Amino acid sequence: MDRSLRSRLEARLGDYLRAPVYQRNDETEIRIDPGAVPEVLRLLHDSVDLRFEILADLAGVDTGEVMQVVYHLWSPMSFDWLRIVADGLSRDDPRAPSATFLWIGAEWLEREAYDMFGIIFEGNRDLRRIFMPPDYTSFPLRKDFLLPDDAARSPGGGVRHVERTHAPATLADDPKAGIRRAPVS
Amino acid sequence: MPAPQHPPRPQTARPAASAASPASAASPASKGARRTRRPAERQPSLDDPRIMLDRQISSDLYEPIPPYPTRTEREAEFYTLGDGEMFLNVGPHHPATHGVLRLVLKLSGEQIVDVDPVLGYLHRGVEKICENSDYYHVIDQVDPLEYLSSLFQEWPAVLSFEKLMDVEVPRRAEYIRVLSGELLRISSHILYMGFLALDLGGLTPILYGFIERDEIVEMLAALTGARMLFNYFRIGGVNGDLNHEFMSRLGDWMSRAGRQTEANAGLLNENEIFVRRMRGVGTLDRATALSYGVTGGNLRASGVPFDVRRAHPYSIYPELEFNIPTRDEGDSLARYLIRVDEIRESLKIIDQCLHNMPDGPVMAKLPRLLRPRPGRAWGAVEGPRGMLGVYAISDGSDQPFRFRIHDPSFVNLETVTTLLPGHLLADTMAVVASLDPVMGGIDK
Repeated sequence: MDRSLRSRLEARLGDYLRAPVYQRNDETEIRIDPGAVPEVLRLLHDSVDLRFEILADLAGVDTGEVMQVVYHLWSPMSFDWLRIVADGLSRDDPRAPSATFLWIGAEWLEREAYDMFGIIFEGNRDLRRIFMPPDYTSFPLRKDFLLPDDAARSPGGGVRHVERTHAPATLADDPKAGIRRAPVS
Repeated sequence: MPAPQHPPRPQTARPAASAASPASAASPASKGARRTRRPAERQPSLDDPRIMLDRQISSDLYEPIPPYPTRTEREAEFYTLGDGEMFLNVGPHHPATHGVLRLVLKLSGEQIVDVDPVLGYLHRGVEKICENSDYYHVIDQVDPLEYLSSLFQEWPAVLSFEKLMDVEVPRRAEYIRVLSGELLRISSHILYMGFLALDLGGLTPILYGFIERDEIVEMLAALTGARMLFNYFRIGGVNGDLNHEFMSRLGDWMSRAGRQTEANAGLLNENEIFVRRMRGVGTLDRATALSYGVTGGNLRASGVPFDVRRAHPYSIYPELEFNIPTRDEGDSLARYLIRVDEIRESLKIIDQCLHNMPDGPVMAKLPRLLRPRPGRAWGAVEGPRGMLGVYAISDGSDQPFRFRIHDPSFVNLETVTTLLPGHLLADTMAVVASLDPVMGGIDK
């Protein structure tokens, strides 16, 4: 845990932080509004005491209630990975600003997040599906996209009836009955 | 702004390749009969094998223009031909694209104007499968992604799970992980050298490369029980301890590995044709490489000394002595030479592992059913192609709530959109092979 990174982040990004800086193991996590992504990434990238210049990953997350865009950054100034969670995208119309103005490589990562979650990155010049065929209409990594052959969650399936931790998927009456939801954190 | 809905297709493109259109049916005589059999509004897929039977093969079957409205401005711009330009499909079935990669090249004469890589031919939805299997099963699901070095795909997965569960890995297990990982890195790099030469027309290095790779794979088979998809790392350790066959094979091989590596490298380093086809081709400068998020040898060939083993140490790498080779040229030759240097460094690491190998258990004590507390973890390791990462979210159940796999080849391959334009068609192979993509990881 890099305590000094925490104070540097609080000093630089005070107004943008939507939750206290969270640190565990070798990771530092901040939570911001999706609208603040360009300003925050620009500050993290350009500040002389932060210098987060390598975009390690960009991922979409569906928590079952909201969508998130999660960035992982690396900097030579800190021995922690930095995780930026742009939280609270609506599941019906998830929109977030693109990071391609800073990292061109985010273009394909955002295409992947669009393909899998339907998150629309405003400012990405080439936001089309990257893995699934062009006539595909679903977003497979969303939590309400249930696998048809998911034996572990089918009502009669699985070998650990007693220990099963989440409800079996029942699409018949309530399509959202079997959706797993992320814990509140 | 990218429109999620399909914009109307520009009229400059050819009419849609509608195989169902009656005008393109085989002959006027059979036209009527076919029409009654099949309704006119049916739109058969271009993949339909019957397409070859019920219509004349026209040249537009081979055009790469998508048979659907273009979706973004960039796609519309790419699929509009300028004066004297043509499209050329390279792949998905092409011996030099390292798997099912399809590159749509826009050519002007023999010069590449633009390139549109098309992915997804190998997409299996591994992330979704992992989110629906329990923590132990994730490891064998991720194995076939990086199929040339599959231990490196297991490693970030177990690393992130160990962070989620605060598991302490025994030191002997860490040493075995590093030992087997570095062996596999050498095997992957040797194969890279061979395939790179093969794509440029040299047949010999791949044969020598496979001698070394076969020996490494055989000794890993003695250790793990499999030749390619090892399924060896476990959460909290490794599956089995070192055994006699592995150690004796490793000792035999180590006695000649250094010499053999120099011989293999000399075959290419001193080959004038090879060097002249690689030098100055596909130059990736430092700023562009950082902007693309390139990692691994491709980034170090552009002068950035970023190696996760040193930049963000994991396992026992802080205790080991090795160098991070970097080069400033950033061209295909530099990317190749970095790999040769890394083989030498890996041999040093293996030597240290063998000398310092501690005694003790190779697995931590863990329950049969893993249910980590709710939380999030990111684990990243340095593979042969760059940084492999896994972002795992736990919701307290026995399956990961979110399992995100970051593959280095995916980002490395993205750079062909800037590296290829301006080069000749024949340089496509040199550039793509020097980036070392593995389609299993790219397509997930």
